[in-house]
Amino acid sequence: MLEQLLIFTRGGLILWTCKELGNALRGSPIDTLIRSCLLEERSGQTSYNYDAPGTSYCLKWIFNNDLGLIFVAVYQRILNLLYVDDLLLSMKEKFSEVYDPKRMSYDELDASFKQLREAAEARAEKLKMLNQVAKPMGISNRRLGQMGIARSNGGEKKMANGKDGDEKDSDSLKGNGSSSHVGMIEKSSTVVKSKENGSSEKGAFDVSKLKLKSKGGKKNDTAAVINKVVSKTEPKKITKKNRVWDDKPKEVVVELDYSKEKGEEKVEANVDENGVPNLRKSMMDKDENVSSDSESEEEEESGNNNTKKKGWFSSMFQSIAGKANLEKSDLEPALKALKDRLMTKNVAEEIAEKLCESVAASLEGKKMASFTRISSIVKTAMEEALVRILTPRRSIDILRDVHAAKEQGKPYVVVFVGVNGVGKSTNLAKVAYWLLQHDVSVMVAACDTFRSGAVEQLRTHARRLQIPIFEKGYEKDPAIVAKEAIQEATRNGSDVVLVDTAGRMQDNEPLMRALSKLIYLNSPDLVLFVGEALVGNDAVDQLSKFDQKLADLSASPSTRLIDGILLTKFDTIDDKVGAALSMVYISGAPVMFVGCGQSYTDLKKLNVKSIVRTLLK
Amino acid sequence: MEGTEELLKQLKQWSNVAEQRIREIPAEQLYVSIGVLFLTFILFLLIRLLKRTKSNTIVLTGLSGSGKTILFYQLRDGSSHQGTVTSMEPNAGSFVLHSESEKKGKINPVCVIDVPGHSRLRPKLDDYLPQAAGLVFVVDALDFLPNCRAAAEYLYDILTKASVVKKKIPMLILCNKTDKVTAHTKDFIRKQLEKEIDKLRTSRTAISDADIANEYTLGVTGEAFAFSQCYNKVVVAESSGLTGEISQVEQFIREIVRP
Repeated sequence: MLEQLLIFTRGGLILWTCKELGNALRGSPIDTLIRSCLLEERSGQTSYNYDAPGTSYCLKWIFNNDLGLIFVAVYQRILNLLYVDDLLLSMKEKFSEVYDPKRMSYDELDASFKQLREAAEARAEKLKMLNQVAKPMGISNRRLGQMGIARSNGGEKKMANGKDGDEKDSDSLKGNGSSSHVGMIEKSSTVVKSKENGSSEKGAFDVSKLKLKSKGGKKNDTAAVINKVVSKTEPKKITKKNRVWDDKPKEVVVELDYSKEKGEEKVEANVDENGVPNLRKSMMDKDENVSSDSESEEEEESGNNNTKKKGWFSSMFQSIAGKANLEKSDLEPALKALKDRLMTKNVAEEIAEKLCESVAASLEGKKMASFTRISSIVKTAMEEALVRILTPRRSIDILRDVHAAKEQGKPYVVVFVGVNGVGKSTNLAKVAYWLLQHDVSVMVAACDTFRSGAVEQLRTHARRLQIPIFEKGYEKDPAIVAKEAIQEATRNGSDVVLVDTAGRMQDNEPLMRALSKLIYLNSPDLVLFVGEALVGNDAVDQLSKFDQKLADLSASPSTRLIDGILLTKFDTIDDKVGAALSMVYISGAPVMFVGCGQSYTDLKKLNVKSIVRTLLK
Repeated sequence: MEGTEELLKQLKQWSNVAEQRIREIPAEQLYVSIGVLFLTFILFLLIRLLKRTKSNTIVLTGLSGSGKTILFYQLRDGSSHQGTVTSMEPNAGSFVLHSESEKKGKINPVCVIDVPGHSRLRPKLDDYLPQAAGLVFVVDALDFLPNCRAAAEYLYDILTKASVVKKKIPMLILCNKTDKVTAHTKDFIRKQLEKEIDKLRTSRTAISDADIANEYTLGVTGEAFAFSQCYNKVVVAESSGLTGEISQVEQFIREIVRP
């Protein structure tokens, strides 16, 4: 049984809730849905699961972008209702007829809701009957249908070819469990919603099915399917360019090169005895002058050159006259171009895909104003979405946190985690330098007890910066070393403890378990994932596996996940800044620092606007 | 050389002719015309000055979940309808306050903009600040202490923005949800916020020229921060969105929009 069905505006006002399903929802599923899904640009998904103590809900939603309305249905996850999508669609149509911006209450909908729900339930029942009859046939036909559809999509765009496989496949689709699509096939009075694309992961042929059946037989369907099939078979390989070092002034090299001096103890520190910095300021504190240049129209022109002449003329006409409603097919080419552009900027393929789906979901059905091109609308929407993702969800003011911990008399513990060779130790030293400049006493804990020379490396940094280092040599348990380091810090009054860990691959189970133990045992204030900006599609895998392993293998009920990201080697990528976007999207953690060089001062904050501009250039 | 000499001669001639013409006009007419020009000029200046302060936009801001959208609908319609969820887009409307709608005579409509408080939508506030004549910062008095730091940071960011300081936009810190028994009093909230902002001041201005995020510094160095030290006027009030107790807000709005 449906728990609740809500209609609310984008501005937050609830317009209608079903009164007969008067169950009060436990927890706050709608607010959580908005905060963790819709505002995180994941509105291309099909459903969202919400767990509250005592219940677990599943939420499905539909947008009406033209009027700025959202329809959400909530039901118990174990029930797996089949008619929900169908019902949402019919409610949306009904409501769109009745809607009036001035009206605030729509009581007459109660009756129509009852009717619609009964109709939807009846349809679902009928389909269930049909599928149960045809189920033994369905499984064998699925194979045929799959191959048949793949071939037909590769070649023709006709509906007739697809039709033969349709009947058989509609049954097999039911077997798949993605029954919502079946409901859609039957009642295809409007354009298929973009959220259906989310389940395309299960089988590319599903989506093609729906689109072939939908009215008009739009030419986008096959293009979309081809995209998905191709993207699955050929992950984009972005080759790494050779690193080009900036021309640094010679004096810097001379200043920091102490290999000629004999005694190691004579190493000069960047900070003198009083802790007053006598060298350059960390770039964290420098203001970045970002010049705002207007968008160049030429970029868009070159993108549009690919379309045929006739297409250009009609799109020009449309842009002047303004179109009634934006449809999926109109958005497709612009979105595809945008997705390709993002991928050339080193955004992971999966992320670019999800983002485009989310933007499509938010634009579909919107009225286009006159004198606007579709590509510019899509670009504006994508820009807004990117700014929204990259804007941190919580405060990234570390100094404030350090002060708060200081008041409580505890040291502020930061753990640096990441895969091999991303720059953890180097950037740990940079962060220590920056903190020292803000009058914070730092201690370094060498918990990388595996790699040869790791402890010596940190010892050198600590001597240069004149900060205490806690080390226990090699082959010791990192969790114990960290624990003792924190105790030592409390004893000698250090404000911050920076814990360096060994690099580890995300698939390595025993190492991930060790990391999880370290975090569980010491409960650090900040778990900083260090990722390099050169990484491509692997960023998604790294972060999701790290988060997952930390959640799975932690022994305590409260799981600590990645709290922040430190992006390194930012100076080696010119404008291929997409790794930042992939990492933030997949983990939800904000980028706290950006390492842009190999000296102590090369630590910056992330400038959201410049990244967005570079991504969309 | 000859050309320039000729030009000079011509100019001299013209100036003589002009002088003669002016002398011919009777004195009163001359003075009157000058006076009229002067008056129109002054009038023009006055109108421009008045027009600038005519902005009647009030911006509602605050953390997510503090009750801005409910307040918006209370101001507009006098009731909170069926409840609200987290806003994803701003609510804007130009209307006559609901409590004043029964009064007769011409009443100036107020433009109220409710900006979402979710941290990912913070940049939207910058779009609406230039046109703001007054700011209302809504604070949840019920759930105050867990969110105290976040609220103080947001408030600090707003108070140090250039547009707010330069234009001296008056601000109202509104303690919402005071109908509940466990809600804190406005004095308590004010003191807590002042303490938090004081701490933020020290941590953000550790190195003075490194304070890039905030364009101005707040308060007087050496003294504990108090809202009275701000350049713009800051007032604290109480309200309750659900029950409709918004008289203090309306008073603040009327002070700004219709002096």
